[in-house]
Amino acid sequence: MKLKLSRGVLTLLACCLSAAAWSQQTVTGTVTGDDGEALIGVSIRIEGTGTGTVTDFDGTYEITAQEGSTLIYSYTGYGTVSREVGTQTVIDVVLEAGAQLDEVVVTALGISRERKALGYSVEELESDQIVRTEQNNVVNALQGQVAGVQVTSAGGGPGQGARIIIRGINSLDPGANNEPLFVIDGVPISNETLTVGGGGERNVSNRVADLNPQDIESMSILKGGPATALYGLRAANGAVIITTKQGAAGGLSVNFSTTYGTEEVNKFPETQNVYTQGYEGVYDANSFWPSWGPTVAEARAQDPNHRAEIFNNYENAFQQGNQWRHSLSVSGGNEKATFRTSISRLDHEGVLPFSTYENTSFRINANYVANEKFSFGGGMNYIRSGGNRVNADRFSTRLTYWAPQYDVNDYIREDGSMIGYRNGGTTGNNPIYGEATNKFIDDVDRYIGNLRFSYSPLPSLTFNYTLGLDQYSDFRQNYGQGSVYPGAPNFEDNLSNGNGFVNETRLRSRDLTSNINGVFSQDLGPALNVRFLAGFDVFDSSYDRITTTGYDLDIYNLFSLNNAADIRTSSYVQRRRLLGLYGDLSFSYLNSIYLTLTGRNDWSSTLPVENRSFFYPSVSLGVVLDDLLELPEIISFAKLRASYAGIGKDTDPYRTGVVYGNPAGFPIEGVTGWSRGSQQGASDLKPERTNTFEVGTNLRFLQNRLSVDFTYYDAKSIDQIIPVPTSLTTGFSSFILNAGSMRNHGVELMLKGSPIATDDLLWDITLNYTRNRNEVIEIYEGIEDIFIGSHFGYAGSSASIRLIEGQPYGNIYGRSYARYGASDDDLFIDYSQPLLIGDDGFPVIETTQKILGNTQPDWFGSLINSFTYKGLGLSFQFDTRQGVQKYNQMGNFLAAFGVAPYTLNRDETIVFEGVTADGEPNTKAVFLGQGTGPDGESYGAGYYRNTYRGSTENFVEDADWFRLRNVSLSYSLPASLLERVFIDNATLRITGNNLYLKTPYSGFDPEGNRGNGNSDDGFGGFTYPGVRSVFFTLNLGF
Amino acid sequence: MQRIIQTSLSVWLLLVLSACGADYLNINENPNVATRPPLDGLMATASLETAENHQAVSVGSSAYFVQYLASPNPGSSTDVYDQVSNGGAWNAIYATMTDLYDLIRFGEEDGLTRHVAIAKVLMAVNLGLIVDNWGDAPYSDAFTGQQLRPAYDDAASLYPTIFSLLDEAIALMPAAADAPAVGGGSDFIYDGDLDRWTKAAYSLRARYLNHLSETDQYDPAAVLAAVDNGFTAYAEDAAVTTFSTRNPWAQVAVNNAALVLGGWLSEQFVDALNGTTYGTFDPRLPLLTNDNEEGDYVGTPNGEGRAGTGTATSESYLVTDGYFSGENSPLDIITFAELKFIEAEAALALNDQDRADAAFAAGVTASMEEIGVDGAEIAAYLAAEYGDAVSRDDIFREKYVALFLSPETWVDARRYDYAYADFGLPAGAELSTFPLRLMYPDTETNRNGENVPEVTMLDPLFWDN
Repeated sequence: MKLKLSRGVLTLLACCLSAAAWSQQTVTGTVTGDDGEALIGVSIRIEGTGTGTVTDFDGTYEITAQEGSTLIYSYTGYGTVSREVGTQTVIDVVLEAGAQLDEVVVTALGISRERKALGYSVEELESDQIVRTEQNNVVNALQGQVAGVQVTSAGGGPGQGARIIIRGINSLDPGANNEPLFVIDGVPISNETLTVGGGGERNVSNRVADLNPQDIESMSILKGGPATALYGLRAANGAVIITTKQGAAGGLSVNFSTTYGTEEVNKFPETQNVYTQGYEGVYDANSFWPSWGPTVAEARAQDPNHRAEIFNNYENAFQQGNQWRHSLSVSGGNEKATFRTSISRLDHEGVLPFSTYENTSFRINANYVANEKFSFGGGMNYIRSGGNRVNADRFSTRLTYWAPQYDVNDYIREDGSMIGYRNGGTTGNNPIYGEATNKFIDDVDRYIGNLRFSYSPLPSLTFNYTLGLDQYSDFRQNYGQGSVYPGAPNFEDNLSNGNGFVNETRLRSRDLTSNINGVFSQDLGPALNVRFLAGFDVFDSSYDRITTTGYDLDIYNLFSLNNAADIRTSSYVQRRRLLGLYGDLSFSYLNSIYLTLTGRNDWSSTLPVENRSFFYPSVSLGVVLDDLLELPEIISFAKLRASYAGIGKDTDPYRTGVVYGNPAGFPIEGVTGWSRGSQQGASDLKPERTNTFEVGTNLRFLQNRLSVDFTYYDAKSIDQIIPVPTSLTTGFSSFILNAGSMRNHGVELMLKGSPIATDDLLWDITLNYTRNRNEVIEIYEGIEDIFIGSHFGYAGSSASIRLIEGQPYGNIYGRSYARYGASDDDLFIDYSQPLLIGDDGFPVIETTQKILGNTQPDWFGSLINSFTYKGLGLSFQFDTRQGVQKYNQMGNFLAAFGVAPYTLNRDETIVFEGVTADGEPNTKAVFLGQGTGPDGESYGAGYYRNTYRGSTENFVEDADWFRLRNVSLSYSLPASLLERVFIDNATLRITGNNLYLKTPYSGFDPEGNRGNGNSDDGFGGFTYPGVRSVFFTLNLGF
Repeated sequence: MQRIIQTSLSVWLLLVLSACGADYLNINENPNVATRPPLDGLMATASLETAENHQAVSVGSSAYFVQYLASPNPGSSTDVYDQVSNGGAWNAIYATMTDLYDLIRFGEEDGLTRHVAIAKVLMAVNLGLIVDNWGDAPYSDAFTGQQLRPAYDDAASLYPTIFSLLDEAIALMPAAADAPAVGGGSDFIYDGDLDRWTKAAYSLRARYLNHLSETDQYDPAAVLAAVDNGFTAYAEDAAVTTFSTRNPWAQVAVNNAALVLGGWLSEQFVDALNGTTYGTFDPRLPLLTNDNEEGDYVGTPNGEGRAGTGTATSESYLVTDGYFSGENSPLDIITFAELKFIEAEAALALNDQDRADAAFAAGVTASMEEIGVDGAEIAAYLAAEYGDAVSRDDIFREKYVALFLSPETWVDARRYDYAYADFGLPAGAELSTFPLRLMYPDTETNRNGENVPEVTMLDPLFWDN
């Protein structure tokens, strides 16, 4: 059953939008496949307007368009074709299955261009490639799908933030945002992961996670400077251009989809289950130490209440997660007006107890073609998102302390107090009780809107205007419950500053963008076309926040600031504005040689007045060889491309002066303190520069059945604006300076093949490969290193990430075992040298920091297969990341607490292989356990606590992985079955994510970092664990 | 329609043109902070932090070197002298001195002489902490932001700077009396009371003159002259009693109670007071710490770590009902008791035994009275332990107890060559003898390496011979 909009409604809608109605040229035609079959539902868009129609059951269409405009025909599984509207009234089109010759991609500023005209690499994902991943966070949907794009996350928590880096990290500044710009329907939006109010350790969402993936029609990834030059400095790290689904002319269509997903932890650390609570092998049911006691059997001999089998705390504490997403969309329209509206709701409960996330999204898009010259449209998306963000780090740390003879799930008494693991349950933090009583809840209200106008006074000239808004507020509440009665067992974090606490952060972020441009296109002869674009861009961003913390609650469980005895408040306001003037001049000759020159001048509010204006150019060339040269039969398409761009970059606000602020702790009894700010701004900052050079080729063989796309890029950033760490004696801890340069270069390779392409069966393979190399070329003279971050380890084994000249980004430093003959000056460990064994018979710890690994992978890649057979679709994606290391903090703790399985040899006496200080082989036998050994010697806390845990080397692990990222099986019910019901189409899909993982890493899934910042990359351990999940989706179209 | 378009284009152009105005971009002045701070606010920060810096030096190094405290963990680096730099204290002191530098600079510009005079006293005592703990340090090149890598001034040349800061402050005091007042509560030490500041400046002068006891510059008469203008009662002690949350030693005690272990009293200190070393139980001990589950006062040997489980109360710790580790306990900069011991030491150097005896008794009495020991107990203690003529050993012994937790004691220990009774190297000491200075912190060696002197912890300071 087809629902039709009544003519009256349409007329009304039209009247609301415009009173004018001009005569139009109506174009009709039929779209068929290369097999001659009519294609139903082919999308036909008028370029630059966002309006269009679809073909009906006979493959025919009718559209009103003005002369000179371009119609773009696209259909899944077929190539995209564009046709210019001339004087003809009938345009019949044949689409080639699997062909992508005239493929159109979205480029900077939302401009659709033929892929073959581009001098740089652009990749685009279609809606079904996004939806099939069942990722609620759109950033995660990009995992493995695009060469050059690395997505990392902070684990598998509901709504958990993800981080996306394109072609490596470009900035030496530990605080820099290295992520690309996200643009949705022409409007740049925020993808901040704001950590204020405690959001960092709680792994709050990156803001793009707010989007409903089902609203997305396509995502275009602009990777390098040449692709993003028109966007200016905000896209210096690349850009992700999202186009949302628009309504199509021709009746009303309703789509309903519902997904149920279930998940579990995909990988646990291995733990020993032989030794139980106590210390030095002595059983003590009240001991702090969970696993340094005797064996379970020995303990049971002393304590009949001891369980026969101890728990694996990790497997025991995590639960099964569940999620539901329901979405409904309604779209329709006629040839003048179209709309699409959608509503979606996600409820997600994670594997870590009490972790939740909810997202409600409402979107409406509308477009109206007033006449052949004027059209406009707009979109508005309201999102409410948030949930209880657990503290995975504290949770797993406390799990490590928890004595595994007790069930951690038994966490609360009837009176509401905590059940601990020591002293009859009165002490010993219970991590589940912690999550139950110490919460962090964020609540985001967000509005993303756009208004678009397009005016074509002449067939060759079009003006476009886009006004955009991205505004959100976030109310974050973090609270810890006081003790239910004085002295009641409670979680220690709840009592750090009195009896319970409430912390409220209210923040607001508003980005306004305004972008106008004009495009002029003219044939200057039969073979030469020139196209000129010029525009002006305004970006106005404001952010404000207030954080108030109340300590010491009067009523233990009333989480209101009014109920707190001690209140502290701080606030922050920030504004930033950018203006940009840009131009783009493109020539195409013989539809084979494409040359584009762009220039952009930015004015930034964040730079000193005299340096705030800066210009940067780009040039790109694409040459399609087919028409220029005789190519062998086997080659069906060959293109070479090369481009260069210099992109300027401003800095964060407020980095140009010396200021005085109020130190933490004030006011004190009505007195406000002031203190000089620790950062000295520079009044002479100049913009950073990133110069990118890129060459590539696209070759297709065997009638486009096989395609190779190769890119080499080289990007060097100079004059980086970084806070150079200084001696505190200068009066500052850092100076903001133009200091340092860094280079990234690498290759991206994409192979696409269609081994089988018959009427019934289609098999597509995509292989992506990315390899990036980075080098820190220069840091400010006299500065040895730049500290990016560190992660705690016991006994001095903390790992840190520091940058030094001549080395790549991401080196992990730490302590190691000393090697005989090694020098303090060696940056790396020479593993061929023997271990140095001390007089006590144990390996000696080298306290000079050595480079133990690197957080950036040597290469990563993916293999995606998809099959369609009649109504059946199957796709699966393998991902891998290779040559990457990670500091496993959990490993350090498992060693320190005798939980790791290798500590089972604690009852052994061995001779460590190595040499003593005099170079002679070590012969001293030592006991590995605690206390007095069989030899009568005292071994104190034992090898694992005295020695092993103190060597960072033991915990910087290879974190390579290979995984079956995604398997998706779908079945569309045949139309014949649905003829008698009101359902147009029905699809069932079952998807599995992370069903298989292979890695040498010993902790949770190594893909998870402790957070999303630069200083979190490479630090794993007590992260929110990764999950394996299965989804069932029903999709109905009416 | 055309008009609509024309109008909207005009509006847009207008927006663009006005937007292009420079004003549109002139928004980079940080609205959250000040470019010129209120000087009362700098005073508030610097006066509070000066006291806190004393605690930072103590908790990060000196309290372990003089064995007031011991780590509950074996082989802790501060216990065993393992390349101790106490960078936290260094950075905190320089942050305070930076604010004092600005307070003096802006105060002179604005004619706020009272602020300037107080700031100079505070600058002197902070600089004193730097020199007495690390030796050579940046001062003449420091604080300006002009030098990316400030040069180091010679420690011996910084002492005259300390004295001239104190002398300038003393000279400014009369004029300061006519200058605008310090905002109420902004001076955390004396609330702007210049009489007390003058006495404090003289007392500090006496302290730093007395530091030179092992040099040929030592002038005990000058010390006594300064003492004569110094404190006259312990009510005049330079101390802070108002804190953001609580006294930082109280925070250590609170953390320890929450099993974030710290503030464990050393066996050396506890034995000096519980009768083990000297035979007489010092009545101050129960007012400073706790006894254990058996009712004994037990210290932890430095370097050995805890004997018990770490969770049962087997030893003595800083506790929130201890005199120096309560929520609002005084955090001392310099005290009347210290001044009396300085006086006793200088008088003894001049062979003025009577004055030495009187000053010594006054010092012990002030210490005990302040902590809350009653008069009879004080008399009994003095009678039991000390005879007629006080010795230098007696002075250092009692000053060690009276200045519990003060970083000044490490200066004494080095001047006294660690000759306290039963004072020994910690278990597993990394050095062959007791430490004589701190290492420079990593922030210096990493960021200002070319200027940082090469030192070891056994290189004596210029006043330590």
